[in-house]
Amino acid sequence: MPAAPTFEALFDPQFLTALRPFSLRARRVPLAGRPADQMSRQRGAGVEFADYTPYTPGDDLRHLDWNIYRRLGRLFVRVFEERRDLPVYLLVDRSKSMYLETPPRIEAGLKTALALAAIALGQHDTVRLLHFSEGLRLDAATASGTAGLPGLARRLAALSEQAGTDLAGAVRDLAGRRLRRGLLVVVSDFFDPAGIDAVVGELALCRHRLLLVCLVNEADAEPTARADLRGDVRLRDCESGAALDVTITPAVLARYRAAHAAFRARLAEFAVERGAGLAHVDTAEDVLPQVTALFADGALRV
Amino acid sequence: MTFANLPLFAALGGLAVLAVLLFALQRLRARHIEVTVPTTLFWLAAVRDAPVRVFWQRFRHWLAYLLILLICSLLWLAWAGPELASRHAVDFHVLFLDGSAHTARASDRERAVAALKADLQTLPTDRREVIWGGAFNLKVLRAGEDALLLDQRLASLTPAEAPSALRDQLRLLGIDGAWPERVELVIYGRAPVAAETLAALRGGVRVTRGVDYPAAERGAGIVAFGVAPAASAHPERVDALLEVAPAPGGAPDVTLRLDGAALPAERLTRLPAGPGRALFAVRDLPAASGVLEARVVDERGVAVDDVARLRLPTRRVLPIALAPDLPAPVAKVVGDVVAADAGLTRADEAAAAVVVRRAGDDFGGARPALELTAADAQAHAFVIDYVEDGAGEAQQLLHRRVAAMGLDQIDATRLANALQRPLSATVRPAPRRRVAVWEALFGAAYNFTDSRAFPVFVARAFRYLAAQPIWHPYLAAGRPLPAPLGGAAWLGRPAPALDALGSEFAPPRAGPVGGGAQPGGAPWIAALLSEEVTTGHQGVALPAYSSPGGVGARDFAMWLALLALALLAGEWVLHQRGLIP
Repeated sequence: MPAAPTFEALFDPQFLTALRPFSLRARRVPLAGRPADQMSRQRGAGVEFADYTPYTPGDDLRHLDWNIYRRLGRLFVRVFEERRDLPVYLLVDRSKSMYLETPPRIEAGLKTALALAAIALGQHDTVRLLHFSEGLRLDAATASGTAGLPGLARRLAALSEQAGTDLAGAVRDLAGRRLRRGLLVVVSDFFDPAGIDAVVGELALCRHRLLLVCLVNEADAEPTARADLRGDVRLRDCESGAALDVTITPAVLARYRAAHAAFRARLAEFAVERGAGLAHVDTAEDVLPQVTALFADGALRV
Repeated sequence: MTFANLPLFAALGGLAVLAVLLFALQRLRARHIEVTVPTTLFWLAAVRDAPVRVFWQRFRHWLAYLLILLICSLLWLAWAGPELASRHAVDFHVLFLDGSAHTARASDRERAVAALKADLQTLPTDRREVIWGGAFNLKVLRAGEDALLLDQRLASLTPAEAPSALRDQLRLLGIDGAWPERVELVIYGRAPVAAETLAALRGGVRVTRGVDYPAAERGAGIVAFGVAPAASAHPERVDALLEVAPAPGGAPDVTLRLDGAALPAERLTRLPAGPGRALFAVRDLPAASGVLEARVVDERGVAVDDVARLRLPTRRVLPIALAPDLPAPVAKVVGDVVAADAGLTRADEAAAAVVVRRAGDDFGGARPALELTAADAQAHAFVIDYVEDGAGEAQQLLHRRVAAMGLDQIDATRLANALQRPLSATVRPAPRRRVAVWEALFGAAYNFTDSRAFPVFVARAFRYLAAQPIWHPYLAAGRPLPAPLGGAAWLGRPAPALDALGSEFAPPRAGPVGGGAQPGGAPWIAALLSEEVTTGHQGVALPAYSSPGGVGARDFAMWLALLALALLAGEWVLHQRGLIP
């Protein structure tokens, strides 16, 4: 069985260096949190001018705009936009399907997760690792700042293969926890036996902003890419162990392709409706160019 | 349609079995290969409307089944050797290559061989054979043997100076059970078939002609050549008779040679003959075993009938000696017979070949004798002693033909009444030939010596005792021996059965006849003497042979195999494109 990448393979300096130009930009981060680079609704101390407001006693006299007072004879103070951090929750799929093929999907998944974490930590956001298989697991430690990246990489490399996939349950579980609103990055193949409708149903109820990283390979859309998928085959689900006898005919293949296309369309449709980000990462290709493509103008707005 | 290698029912049954077998194999081939996939989510959706094959319903690839069934059926049919149905379905072909005088011309023979070889290619090897019909029929290619052997076997065969033995072959085909039901005999050559021969064929036998020859140019030829006792009654000479069929519009130019020496043309006498015939006679030729050759000049027809030879018989006057102590009446009546018969002469004891004496008399010593015995000394009136030949043939002949010695002409009842004893005759083996007769029969008291039977009996008894050789008036190739003449010819000859069909012996070809011999060992000589050869008569018109179906089994099988190969390639393409599993 293919193995997940080790820490050494994952924590590639060249890979991480190539990610430095990129940033994650949230439209508005929630109140609270630590000062950081993300715009927030909070007005107060900061460096980015936001507005003028009539002076009231108690305001910081350093913020009085004397030019306006000279012209208008009235006192106004400059208010600034406060910058806060964006909580980034990396929800990584550890089900068996992520470890099945060669190369395993988990490899591209972890690299993508690490890349996003590196970008987030590079802009002083906080990153928390979550993972799931048939249940949600929360990593207690929260990383912040680039110093936290090695530790996060170690925790990612330490993730091991679990059992089945219950993405919908994991999202539901996550939504029920009182976590600060942030960016939920779902790194998965989205092969939940409950179906894509159940998954997007739970994701729709999630308070967090969403970035969906769907790990794909060529055989997902076109089964004939696999040489062994011909004639009469017994398909065994790697997670449930259930067998399905199929006679692969052109008609069956056509129906398969239609089912897979509907799956992807549903995911894309949800992303559009929800304003979520959606990235398909081909596990057979290099991850870096695919991540780079997400940050077309240097920033990914979420 | 018929099949070269299989009966029709077996070929069709094989197809049915093939279809069932492939159906079963198609079911068996649904053995699933297990493949582990990340999820069966999409496959479940895909097969929701196409449930997996179960038991009988699992078989759904009709295209694949029909394709493989078609390929296997084509291969099966190719092996079975299909032949397009012909107008005359035939189980077996007998290809008869005429090697007789009818096809003596080299051009005719070459055409026959070429046509035979061409037709051989279109026939399945196990359902044909080739017969060479020369002086006798010889199977030169058996069923199942490769046609490549034919050239080597024909190399040593040359056309015989003999009429065709085709009739014998047709008689063999008429034997029920010895051949397949439907047999076609194809004649390659000019051998004629008589209408009565065709009429006698059993149902299922068909005769066709493999080569359509143009009418042959007719030339002159000898159609009859034989000898007869001389018309001059000379006991030691014979007359030769010659019949020639001259070329149309031409006069026959005939020459004769005796023992290599040409006979003067004036010896040849032309006799009146029917239209289209010329009859010649040569009188008083010495009957001394010479070889007489007749030759007719012919530049147009076949050469084999231009020469005919025969061996002249040996005829000698038989010297008879009468014992001096014979009763005078007896000596007189016997002497009268000898004097009246040109073939007999009186001689003294030393020169005699046969003597007449009383029983117990030592006159003539060990020579064959006509003996007179006392009625008391011998139970039978006539006793004929013969020399045992080991085969019992002489005894059989005598028993059968004793009456022919003239005894049947005796008024036996009257003599028996006069003698108060029954008259009887018997034969018995002895060291030498002898005829013993009651002396009383020669007496004046009875009328035996006055009867017509007496000279016949005496003359034939002398010739029997002298064992004079017989001879045949002519010997023709392919025709049974004619009735013999001379010597004890009245005994006839046994009717030997040459084969199980009762064929009489016939000289197989022109030339010396083995077995038959003149005194001194010179063999008889047979001549062709075939009017059909000379006139080019082809008998009844026969239908032309047509190759069964036009397309031979081998060609058909090759095309079927190629088609199967093409379909196999097509199946591979479909499989590669995923259109069939």
